[in-house]
Amino acid sequence: MSLLLIIAIQAAFYTLLGLGYVLIYRATRVLNLAHGDVMVFGAFIFFQGLVTSGGSVVVAALAALTGAALLGGLIYASIMRPLAGYPVAVGVLATIALGITLRSATTVIWSGQTRYPAEHVGRLGGGFELTPGVSVSGVDALIILAAVAAILGISLFLQRAAVGVGMRGVAENVLLAAQRGINIHAINAVSWAAAAMMATIAGIFFSLKVRLGPDIWYVGLAGFAPALIGGMDSVRGVALGALIVAAAEVLASRYIAPQVSLVAPFLVLLVALWLRPWGIFGSREELERV
Amino acid sequence: MSLFSHLPSTLRTSYAADSRLLDTAFVRFWAVTGLGVALALPLILTNFWTGVANQTLIAIVGALALNLLMGTTGQISLGHAGFIAAGAFTAAALVTHLHAPFIVTLPAAALIGAVLGVLVGLPALRLKGLYLAVSTLAAHFVIIVGLGQYQAAISYGSGFSIGPPSLAGLEISSELRWYYLLLLVVLLVLLMNLNWLRTAFGRAWMAIHHKDVAAEALGINVHVYKLLAFSASTSLTCFAGALWAWHTGFVSVEAFDFHMLIQYLAMVIIGGLGSVLGTILGAIFAMVLPHVITAAVEKTPMLKGLGTQVFELQIGLFGVIMLLFLILEPRGLAGIWMRVRAYFQLWPFKYRAWES
Repeated sequence: MSLLLIIAIQAAFYTLLGLGYVLIYRATRVLNLAHGDVMVFGAFIFFQGLVTSGGSVVVAALAALTGAALLGGLIYASIMRPLAGYPVAVGVLATIALGITLRSATTVIWSGQTRYPAEHVGRLGGGFELTPGVSVSGVDALIILAAVAAILGISLFLQRAAVGVGMRGVAENVLLAAQRGINIHAINAVSWAAAAMMATIAGIFFSLKVRLGPDIWYVGLAGFAPALIGGMDSVRGVALGALIVAAAEVLASRYIAPQVSLVAPFLVLLVALWLRPWGIFGSREELERV
Repeated sequence: MSLFSHLPSTLRTSYAADSRLLDTAFVRFWAVTGLGVALALPLILTNFWTGVANQTLIAIVGALALNLLMGTTGQISLGHAGFIAAGAFTAAALVTHLHAPFIVTLPAAALIGAVLGVLVGLPALRLKGLYLAVSTLAAHFVIIVGLGQYQAAISYGSGFSIGPPSLAGLEISSELRWYYLLLLVVLLVLLMNLNWLRTAFGRAWMAIHHKDVAAEALGINVHVYKLLAFSASTSLTCFAGALWAWHTGFVSVEAFDFHMLIQYLAMVIIGGLGSVLGTILGAIFAMVLPHVITAAVEKTPMLKGLGTQVFELQIGLFGVIMLLFLILEPRGLAGIWMRVRAYFQLWPFKYRAWES
């Protein structure tokens, strides 16, 4: 039972991360390898907000989300827009370069020291006992709630909101969308901003639950595995991909060796790429083959 | 396909002229000058900077291998640091378990690399672009963690020391001896690389880069040549990894992290993807710049307070330079060199009548 709970929490965390990859991929057809660094950057703004405001989670979270949205928009306007139309490889390389730049900036601003934002928060709702002997902490409960809310919220947003419909149009055929009068640059900037906010939410949770430091970018990078397994252009696919990756990771850590769990997402990914490269719910046309 | 053949130069009238290595007086002049400078360089360099030059020469081999895959064949690979690690660990394992001599470990690493390249290249038969990039990145993490497990099991996690190598009775212990050995190796690798590019292999790889479907229609077996490209590139990469291991004298998995991958990507991007000359320039740039920054910071009292931040700033600077090249000059240093050369060639005119 507690094993299932651990898997659920990990899957929820991966869902939050994976959604960012999917949002960006749908907009600009780029795999954002800087996502982990955006996550760290946002989490550090949250930490700074906590320190400055004297422990107010709401103020810190709002500051972090605003900062992340601005960062996402800025990345699109300054890097991704000029690179539009280049081969996919160029976009991937650009995000790698962006990632190390962001990481370096984070370390220079906040130093490479490991922080524990949870110390500034006090008790976050305490814990709940689900069944006798199985309890879930406040942060873990929030992670699961946030993941469910994010999946439902983003799906609903894409179905109903005007901007969301624009995003779907861009994801389906960017040239047609532009011809029909959709402001694709605004839509893409919004997508990047939303993805950066998702990364920041994941980063806040991770830093509250575990720790915060420039080295946790690796955790954020692993989030592309669930996105690819679920299908890079599928929102609901992320949840399933996250569940598969989380299960592989937790089970490997429990039954094989803790070190194996570090590569478990990538091993699952290699198998998935071999069997079904376009992902479980991804559209098959995405994959051009010889 | 000569060293400079991507540059605007004279029109060629026969296939033999087109595939000549040093085709114009200009190219011959610069090739001889470059070789002369390379031979004389240790005379003016201190021992430390000769060491930097040696690391640069090894990096040139690794970068040429990466360029073969990414620049020539157009297959993106994010597993380069993992492949270098595989080569270095091959050398270390052969020395630790079998006491193999220097001269045996290098071909062994190249052989392991060739096999590894086929394994990693297999997904490339089904996957393209982004999906291929991801599968090579996943391979990087799998290789690194696997080697980390091996290191933990054999050397209790501390890494492997391998002594200075000896070649034909001569111990290559000083940086000076390393320099001339590595210079010879780089020249041979460069010659091999250029020969690949001007024969059927290179033509097929370039055709696949431009459009694989068209290449298939021309009768090129795309699957075979893609695997050959992966195999050749990874073999050369592992060879560079073995050289790295012997030159550094100590192999530990921590050295082959994401940062090394980024360094090699920076070399080929800054140099100019697809250009042999650019790759060499990019490798020199990427290897020497960090040392220049460190030296500059040490000399400037104002910046001394930065301390450990310098390393971080170096990495960040790399990222910014890579981004600037990707956005502003996708043809890299080779592209800049090409424009400068065209300016002098055409002066006092500005445009030429033909496309190079």
